Amino acid sequence: MLEVKDLHSYYGDAHVLHGATLEVNKGEIVALLGRNGMGKTTLIRSIMGLTPPTVRAGEVKWNGETISGLKPHEIASRRIAIVPQGRRLFSSLTVTEHLTMLKSPRVKEGWTIERIFDAFKRLGERRNHRGSQLSGGERGMLAVARALIQDPDLILMDEPSEGLAPVMVQRLEEVIIDLGKTGLGILLVEQNLYSALDAASRVYIMETGKVVHSGTTAALKADMSVVEKFLGVHG
Amino acid sequence: MNLFQLLNGVTFAALLFIVASGFTLIFGLLRIVNLAHGALYLLGGYFGYSIASWSGSFALGIVGAMAGIALFGILLEGGLLRFVRGHELRQVLLTVGVAFVINDMALVIWGGDSFTVPVPDTLMGAVQIGPVFYPKYRVFVFGAGVAVFLLLWLLMNKTRLGVMIRAGVDDAEMVEACGINIRRIYLWTFLLGAALAGLGGVIGGAYLSLYPTADAEILVFSLAVVIIGGRGSLPGAAIGALMVGLLNSVGQVMFPELAYFVIFGPMAALLAFRPLGLFGKSV
Repeated sequence: MLEVKDLHSYYGDAHVLHGATLEVNKGEIVALLGRNGMGKTTLIRSIMGLTPPTVRAGEVKWNGETISGLKPHEIASRRIAIVPQGRRLFSSLTVTEHLTMLKSPRVKEGWTIERIFDAFKRLGERRNHRGSQLSGGERGMLAVARALIQDPDLILMDEPSEGLAPVMVQRLEEVIIDLGKTGLGILLVEQNLYSALDAASRVYIMETGKVVHSGTTAALKADMSVVEKFLGVHG
Repeated sequence: MNLFQLLNGVTFAALLFIVASGFTLIFGLLRIVNLAHGALYLLGGYFGYSIASWSGSFALGIVGAMAGIALFGILLEGGLLRFVRGHELRQVLLTVGVAFVINDMALVIWGGDSFTVPVPDTLMGAVQIGPVFYPKYRVFVFGAGVAVFLLLWLLMNKTRLGVMIRAGVDDAEMVEACGINIRRIYLWTFLLGAALAGLGGVIGGAYLSLYPTADAEILVFSLAVVIIGGRGSLPGAAIGALMVGLLNSVGQVMFPELAYFVIFGPMAALLAFRPLGLFGKSV
């Protein structure tokens, strides 16, 4: 399980995370909501060990081990994968190369390339296309597939539905729910409130670098006043 | 402009490609403008000259120079450059400093005379290409350039290391976030780029000869090749090398007093329309 405790992160001298605290249990889908600029992406980057930002106080624990301060590849090798904001695919690599780079086609355990292409038929059809030649939906799928091929126990997803057509958002939501059923933990940062609420079992809401609300999705749906207060959305 | 001069242009392009391919790999992935690349070329040439003269084997000279310069590259990357990662100006100044140190050390060891790496008898003499007799060694240089291109192409497209290097050129941070130790990829790339500079030094040392300041000349040409071709692009380096090689021949033959302008004039014009070079991508 992932435990983020009182995390303080800075961009240069700018104090962005003011003691963020949250948990993601094994096999749990947790949504992290909040308006733009509230520190969601900063929190995801801090968990993954990506700099900037720099973590100056607090800690991130993963299955009891402190992982804050480790390098991103060391954190990734502990089975934490990321679907970053904006996807950040490798534009000169083909779909297949995105996957073979991270796992030899000879490995037959966990998420193999065949299993990925079976789960995402469209990616299989486009296997020889480069990252820069894919449509928005395909890019979103490949970003998820690139995380899955690492056989993670936890995926940090930073706005995976960003820029997608409604039908693709729906499809992605189904994928996330299916993945959750396989025992994979997901920390889902989402602007798309309803999509996030359908997939997640618990919700955290961030405001100005702090977690200001935490609770179950059911409770939030029953009382949308919190959503109205922090997200400015009318339930 | 006759066939002989055209061949000279193509041959020079092959040598430039060997040197510039290493330069563009390092520039593309590590974002380091390694201004010591020319010095590595010259040092490789001197290594090759000493080893080939001592052993009587040109092949051993090539292997020794590549291995020696690769080792030098590892020391430079792992021992110095890693401490200034992300600071572009410091990296550039550091590599300039290293270039000065290498040049002065070379002057102390090999002196200021001009040397030519001895080539084996089989590469002496000339072959007939159409109406002209062309030096065999220069045909070998061309062949070496083509071979390096093919091997690099295979490396970059058919091996996992190559795919990781290409991914790193696109987005090094994401490569690391996917669980790959990017530092190791940096080191391999620097080693490869340095070895190519060493190879270029031996091959060029038998073709253009070795002397103090030869490093600056090859560096300027390599810079032009990489700027024209675009950072980190092998096809770009190949086309850039051909352009610079041919323009250099044209310039020397037809406008000797404007030889440099003939290269850098078109380069500047190209950059006005494609600021990232022919195959360059923004980051």
